Amino acid sequence: MKPATCLLAALGLWSSSGSWAQPATYVLEPGHSFVHFEVLHFGTSTSSGRFGPIAGVVTLDRAAGRGEVSLSVPTAGVDTGLAVFNARLRQADLLASTEYPEAYFVARSFRFEGQTLAEVRGEFTLRGVGQPLSLFARRFACRLDEGVEVCGGDFEGEVLRSNFGITYLLPFVGDRVRLVVQVEGRRR
Amino acid sequence: MHKIVTAAACAAVCAAAHADGGNYAIDPTHTFVSFEVMHFGTSTNRARFDRKEGTVQFDRRARSGRVEITIDMSSVNSGVPPFDAHLRSKDILNVAEHPNARFVGDRFTFVDDKVTAVAGTLTLLGKSHPVTLRATRFNCYDNPIFKREVCGGDFETVIQRSQWGVNYGLPAIAPDNVRLVVQVEAIKQ
Repeated sequence: MKPATCLLAALGLWSSSGSWAQPATYVLEPGHSFVHFEVLHFGTSTSSGRFGPIAGVVTLDRAAGRGEVSLSVPTAGVDTGLAVFNARLRQADLLASTEYPEAYFVARSFRFEGQTLAEVRGEFTLRGVGQPLSLFARRFACRLDEGVEVCGGDFEGEVLRSNFGITYLLPFVGDRVRLVVQVEGRRR
Repeated sequence: MHKIVTAAACAAVCAAAHADGGNYAIDPTHTFVSFEVMHFGTSTNRARFDRKEGTVQFDRRARSGRVEITIDMSSVNSGVPPFDAHLRSKDILNVAEHPNARFVGDRFTFVDDKVTAVAGTLTLLGKSHPVTLRATRFNCYDNPIFKREVCGGDFETVIQRSQWGVNYGLPAIAPDNVRLVVQVEAIKQ
């Protein structure tokens, strides 16, 4: 990206260029699209792990305040930094990765605050169980990368794992699971 | 009455046992250092160091402690192998010349019997600078598997990577501020 383009993007001036006035489709970038999960261990410290790269497509119409997202999360690739934890998480009573190799997030409800994306509401499916999930945007921005628009941000949501039938070690390992999502999508 | 006395005696003994200072060994399965850095002002890149070891001396009654953690820098894990290779390269962490980072924390701040901050020195790429890790949560509990007391929590701080000479991509690709997020649990020995 040229310095001038970078500066314009940083200032958000591209939003007035009209390029976002129509629905645009973005394909997730594997280098910057991950789901991290966090769960409280014995009320003491936060254990976390990572899924990804996640794959998917996002359609965004900023002018109309609409969008659509369809993401898949490969569950067998869970990475906690510990091979024994990863293997345990893949088992039938937890992620059940053999029977359900993918988790999904599908959403068609986008809430904007002014021009800023604030929330994406949809359905999260894990172990074949679908539950409503809101992902709240902590930040969202677009930039030009060698002439191609890239949009992305950080999102957070929370699920109760028991809602998906994952009850192992309750209550010593918490029911609330915080999802921290990094996504960047390149315009198609 | 007998039961009440027994319970009271037990509570006193347990409290005394908890108040004793002692040595703790880092539980590597619940101890991780991760970092977060903004990517092109768009989203947050995260990576974790998978291998580390360390010890903790901790005395709640004396309100003192010392923690030493050594991190194997080659174990950096972002989920993106080419990014990990770049992180390990001379551009960024220069793992070949500086295989380990080390944090020595010797100034513990307490509120009541909870640790709220640990100040010390972070040595990275051969340079040492003061760092204060703030506790976002701290707790001790009796672990039913180890049958021992475990103390730990979540700590975080923001460092300026340029202080340690990590200047790659400043400021457009990634800013100077890097958030360190530390999960730690340590088992009483």
